[in-house]
Amino acid sequence: MGAAAVAIPPFLRVAVLASNAAEQHRLATLVEQCGHQLVELAASPHAVLTDGAAGADLASAAVAVGRVDGGFAGLLPADADATQIDAALRAVAAGLTVRATTAETRDFDPLPEEPPVLLTPREIEVLAALGNGLTNKETARLLGISPHTVKFHIESLFRKLGVTSRAEAVARGMQQQIVEF
Amino acid sequence: MPDSVENPLIRLSEALAERAAFARALVVGIAVPGHRMRSGILWRKDVVVAAEQRFPKAPDATVTLADGSAFAARVAGRDPGTNVVALRLDGTPDPAPLGAGEPQAGALALAFGAQEGGVCARLGVVHSVGPAWYSRAGGRIDRRITLDIGVSPPEEGGPVLDAGGGLLGMSTLGPRARVLVIPAATVSGVVDPLLSKGRVERGWLGLALQPVLVPEALQAEAGYPRGLMILRVAKDSPGAQANLHAGDILVTIGGESVTNPAMLARHLGPDSVGKQIELRLIRAGKSLSILVTVGIRPA
Repeated sequence: MGAAAVAIPPFLRVAVLASNAAEQHRLATLVEQCGHQLVELAASPHAVLTDGAAGADLASAAVAVGRVDGGFAGLLPADADATQIDAALRAVAAGLTVRATTAETRDFDPLPEEPPVLLTPREIEVLAALGNGLTNKETARLLGISPHTVKFHIESLFRKLGVTSRAEAVARGMQQQIVEF
Repeated sequence: MPDSVENPLIRLSEALAERAAFARALVVGIAVPGHRMRSGILWRKDVVVAAEQRFPKAPDATVTLADGSAFAARVAGRDPGTNVVALRLDGTPDPAPLGAGEPQAGALALAFGAQEGGVCARLGVVHSVGPAWYSRAGGRIDRRITLDIGVSPPEEGGPVLDAGGGLLGMSTLGPRARVLVIPAATVSGVVDPLLSKGRVERGWLGLALQPVLVPEALQAEAGYPRGLMILRVAKDSPGAQANLHAGDILVTIGGESVTNPAMLARHLGPDSVGKQIELRLIRAGKSLSILVTVGIRPA
């Protein structure tokens, strides 16, 4: 590395390409929040942020937000925030591919089947606290129960989900069971 | 080959090619500038249907029939719930309607798609046939039909025929690239609302829910061991107006237990909009009944 390393610009030149004026404005605002410079598509930007209007044939490094065809270097969910968009724009400008870790559920996916093990409301609350990185003591304070009871619920979660760590419990327990009606 | 008439393989091959000739009149290519061409079905005169998922957010498209004739098309409506987008055209021929196909596991199925300058075909079997199912957006799909073949994304949305030349439905890419068929009956049910209203209206309460085990101490009060816990209530939604809260456990809707989300979806179809429905909940250890007026699911 050292002297040979390419200088990383503090901000990127980014073009926005959206299918309508409202979306164009929203994406442009996000780019500005990231501290990048908005440029026209013709001004050879480092990266392009699009809602998919451009199609997959866009030559430059492009990040698409929302449900679109898979031919983009970066794919983010529609509700991606400025931090995620900033990270994705920098990554595609550096020639990397970006995908969100949580696969976005699509409207057309089947409704989830009834899970093989059902959690109680308390277990779901404890699991959500684990997912937010809270300690037993913090979880107890949040839920207004004793740390001993929290431990009891965590043991029950581990048993039901067949896991041995908090991280596994969170990964296993939060698998797309939430539906909206 | 003197024995071509007797050779069963040749006879099979000729019969398949004959089905493909039927299908040609139905298969259309759909072009939206900046996007790959995709496939669709000439559903009836001046109406084309295609797969909604990944369909570009564009108001217009160009539709090309297998004979090369091209038509300007307008996107009339989209239904993410059944994966159908309907397009309106002007001046297409009236395709001779195909009979309804009857899906049967193990029976041959032919999936067609559009390709630059014509039609492409795939041959496989019906992998499984199951009962009606519901998508996350609440769409009811009348049968769960899967095929054992792969279909590439540009071919999605084309017609699937059975061995007798009957129309099974529209090919669709499901989870993990499994190929599903949206039954012709399901497509028929959404085409008219899409053409007239631009969407298919379904019931909505404004709740995010998750299946839960009713705590043992409350099972007698609830009458059921399982239910759906409300995690969030959307602002100004029917649920909010009916004073539902996060933490409530929904145990019945319209008098029937809701142990899984599909049971809820069944009560919130297009007919439910504007109607009152009774929910029974467990809140703070007590059972209570609440009447809620079903709203329209936002697009």
